[in-house]
Amino acid sequence: MVSIKRVAALAALTMVGLSACGGTDSGSPAVPGESKKSDVISGVPVAAVADILPGSTMEKIKQRGELIVGGSLDAPLLSQQNPVSGEIEGFDADMGKALAKYIIGEPKVKIVNSASETREALLANGTVDVVFQTYTITPERAKQVAFAGPYYSSGLTLAVRKGTTGIAKPEDLNGKTVIAGANTPAIPAIEKLAPKAKIVTFGSDPECMQALKQERGDVYVQDETLLIANAQKDPSVQLVGKPFTTDPYGIGLKHGDEDFKKFVNGWLTKIQGDGNWQKIWKNSIGTIVPGEATPPEIGSVPGS
Amino acid sequence: MSAFLDHLPQFWQGLVVTLQLTAASFAGAAVVGLVITALRVSPVRVLRGIGTAYVETFQNLPLLVLLVLAVFGLPEIGVKAGLLETAIVVIALYEAAYLAEALRSGVNAVAAGQGEAARALGLTFSQSLRHVVLPQALRTVIQPIGNIFIALTMNTSLAAAVGVVELTATANRVNLLEAQPIPIFVGAGLAYALIAACAGFVTGRLERRLVMIR
Amino acid sequence: MSDLLFDEPGPRARRRIRIATVAGAIVVLGVVALAVRQFAANGQLDADRWQPYATWPMWRYLLDGLAATALAAVVSAALAMAGGLALALGRLSRRRWIRLPSAAYVEVVRTVPALLLVYIVLFALPRYGLDLPLFWKLVVPLAVSNAAAFAEIFRAGILSVPRGQTEAGLAVGLTHGRTMRMIVLPQAARRVLPSMVSQSVGLLKDTSLGFVVSYAELLYSGKVLATYNGLLIQTYIIVALVYLVVNASLSKLARVLEARQPRRRLTRA
Repeated sequence: MVSIKRVAALAALTMVGLSACGGTDSGSPAVPGESKKSDVISGVPVAAVADILPGSTMEKIKQRGELIVGGSLDAPLLSQQNPVSGEIEGFDADMGKALAKYIIGEPKVKIVNSASETREALLANGTVDVVFQTYTITPERAKQVAFAGPYYSSGLTLAVRKGTTGIAKPEDLNGKTVIAGANTPAIPAIEKLAPKAKIVTFGSDPECMQALKQERGDVYVQDETLLIANAQKDPSVQLVGKPFTTDPYGIGLKHGDEDFKKFVNGWLTKIQGDGNWQKIWKNSIGTIVPGEATPPEIGSVPGS
Repeated sequence: MSAFLDHLPQFWQGLVVTLQLTAASFAGAAVVGLVITALRVSPVRVLRGIGTAYVETFQNLPLLVLLVLAVFGLPEIGVKAGLLETAIVVIALYEAAYLAEALRSGVNAVAAGQGEAARALGLTFSQSLRHVVLPQALRTVIQPIGNIFIALTMNTSLAAAVGVVELTATANRVNLLEAQPIPIFVGAGLAYALIAACAGFVTGRLERRLVMIR
Repeated sequence: MSDLLFDEPGPRARRRIRIATVAGAIVVLGVVALAVRQFAANGQLDADRWQPYATWPMWRYLLDGLAATALAAVVSAALAMAGGLALALGRLSRRRWIRLPSAAYVEVVRTVPALLLVYIVLFALPRYGLDLPLFWKLVVPLAVSNAAAFAEIFRAGILSVPRGQTEAGLAVGLTHGRTMRMIVLPQAARRVLPSMVSQSVGLLKDTSLGFVVSYAELLYSGKVLATYNGLLIQTYIIVALVYLVVNASLSKLARVLEARQPRRRLTRA
């Protein structure tokens, strides 16, 4: 009896698999605004041989033939794995590829999925060469890692259900229930600006969005870019006000590796000057955020 | 250690939530577990089937998956409940499957003559279950039930993943702020060990008082 | 036992049972229908929300996740079983300095949530210079906590072998070690097989903590998929079904193994 049911279930699964094989191969039409593929990497520069100093980190990477990047798989627009192609797409991911091409000549990267608390350790023990993962430059972190950049600047903002009133700025969150991603910088920011807010955390961005829509909280605090993308996909949610923090994202490097830091900063200057930075931005974040972006000034933040 | 002591009120709050989760879901699991056990030994085949299907389903799904599904899925079918309440119900239903399994092995361990005697006296099914079989079955499975209680306590930590700020979530949050993982997590671990030790003590006492050596 | 609690229902009882079954089924179906209607009203049953899961790439991605789950489960089960056997033997050792630490390990680890162990490996160890690769961040805490569970299973199995077996072994001149290895353990192994399989099902379920570690097992793959396509509920329902099918098959295996066990012989003490 049970086994018959199980066989039936298996058969059903197999059929789903089979019909899928015959069906569309190009992925899911249910996903709007994603996987718009244009090749932004082919145009990026390659470093002059003289810049790859002998014995340096750059040379080690070049000999290995692969840049090992600490990053995420589930950060839409920044570093999100596309289950169809297996590729990791987004602004951070493309920046990583561009840096790999600059060093090696080919955009060969391996992304090590890293929880945000372990990035310092990953860099210190050499598991990864660089970190591209919304890594906000702070003077405290700069004691443990070196930061090149900033290469991008963003900020936290508020999203509410459409029609919500009484929430216009972070101070209004006092006494409200606030949704935030687990282990994101939103948590300390809320605690600082609205100490009386009740914070509820969930593991991922879609979970937080679902929680907001299901009224498990009054407001969702997250990086502005992500929230813009969410609000576009889901018209029942809207953004409130301007970003209330400035988070300059840096490229995390091993602490004390001055040569590599100078090298990476040189690369950033170069791609910002020749329009490649802008192209990478347009292809990822720019698909959601209208207009043009200007890169932040390199070394402009304490800790960079 | 100061990182732990500075946040003592927070930890206390987290511990209270963990205790609430543990107590409420164990109570729920006990009720549901008993019902499922009764179903599984009942004369009606459909009911036996339902009991078995229940145990099969809940023992074969990770609690984390159930929690995530319940927290985000239930509102979509019109059931809106708080996070803590949802977590309590899910953990109760989950552990009920394990309790039912333990209770059933207890029922099986009761000597066959007891059931026959109960029937010979003219007791109905529910009477013989209530007055003859279950009281004896419970005594033989005190230790397994104690183990389930400890497992349930540990499992309440998964509620942290769906936004319930209990002990583990508190520890994680305090650690984000203080970055002193060792005292913080060891402190939280000690609190769990303390709960488990209490449970062990109670089951030990109960067993000595109630167990029947055959 | 269970069939001793009631008489075979007579014709009237059977009729009552049938009526109650039908009535119950109608109530249950009604509730389910209401739930499904609400679910559909919220747009969760719309075809385009399920359509991605009729395509191969989504399944390929989930099956990759399932393979990672299986790998993590197998490796941690192997480590936990080896550790558990050592601990069980240690706890039964005649030497106090082996017995006490083994017992202490089992009793302490049994009372610490696996999630807390995961947090320690994830957040605490890297600060002391030990940053394991992702896979091991999931496997190590699972192996550590399940070793205690397996130790208890093995110990119970060893103790369930009648004393006469050990005594006979010693009587024919075998050492303690050889008696254990050649006489007790083989018999114990057969008895604990079903519990081992069901503990392994539990371990496979525990690998869903990869969700926290961000190791790309089944549940975490579901999380990545959900951030990609925004179909949170659909994705988790599919993930749950996959777990159910895999674990139910394993549980079935445990029951088959149990049924194959020779009936416990009545040994007179």
